[in-house]
Amino acid sequence: MSSLPIVDWLYATPVSSAIRDLLWVVPSVQSLHIIAIAVIFASAVLSDLRLAGLFARDLPTAQVIRRYYPWMRGALLVLLASGLVMAIGEPDRVLVNSVFWLKMALVVVAFMLAWQVRRPFLRSRQGPGNDIERPGLAPLAWLSMGLWCVVIFCGRWIAYAI
Amino acid sequence: MDLQALLQSLESTALATTIRESANAFPALESVHVIGIALVFGTITVVDLRLLGLAAHRRSAQRLIAELLPFTWVAFVACVLTGSLMFIANASTYAQNPMFLGKLALLALAGLNMAVFHLGAFRRISEWDTTLPPPRPARLAGFGSMALWAGVIFLGRWIAFV
Repeated sequence: MSSLPIVDWLYATPVSSAIRDLLWVVPSVQSLHIIAIAVIFASAVLSDLRLAGLFARDLPTAQVIRRYYPWMRGALLVLLASGLVMAIGEPDRVLVNSVFWLKMALVVVAFMLAWQVRRPFLRSRQGPGNDIERPGLAPLAWLSMGLWCVVIFCGRWIAYAI
Repeated sequence: MDLQALLQSLESTALATTIRESANAFPALESVHVIGIALVFGTITVVDLRLLGLAAHRRSAQRLIAELLPFTWVAFVACVLTGSLMFIANASTYAQNPMFLGKLALLALAGLNMAVFHLGAFRRISEWDTTLPPPRPARLAGFGSMALWAGVIFLGRWIAFV
């Protein structure tokens, strides 16, 4: 067992042992987690590519961002909920894992960056012919896409880091 | 040469041995595989939702499909490459895994569903390009595609649990 009392306590709770005992729970929740990764990553990449000027250039940036930002937010909630189930079920493999905490920090950074970059487009009330263009955002859009890739790598490495 | 001998000769190649014995090759391949899955499933879902009648970032279904398909294909090729590399590392084990075989079957069905759509409703897309909701065959193709690809993800994750 681990050295952290909270991990031992969580591991011994009925809900934690139920997640482990019902053998279909962990693979099913992980599959749901991957589907939510697909939603957040594809939504992020499509709007980041529009910000970088490489996708849907005939449409206003705000139109693309407003279409996909709610999907990013919804997918984030599904990711946090499904991730929580995995952490409760196997706290001894997750909560003491430094790759897990690195991933959590990167998720916060990546989503804050995505939100900061998108905020002016979500707030503005301009019509279709009156788009705000911000070419300076292209490097941040690439950084955002790169960060999400690192998050995915970290997620897979959690299983190998212990 | 029978199948078993072929699988064993795949496993004994230098490339397969390197992947099997490296500490980082497998998680790295899995991570790229997940990034590929995210783009395949994400871009296909955008099209599927449009086929079901939920507007995407643009109204024209034809332009939406033409714009997203290159992303889908590049990501799919990345998935096939990384998947093949993981397969050869333990070919005879995967070949006996019912989840792996089920995943291949669902992939074939997803391809069949796409072929039916392209030979049917897609040929008359100019008639319903901006119509919401699209005609019934297109809606069925969108629903079938989403269900089959979600099934591919579920069975893919279950491979590691049987």
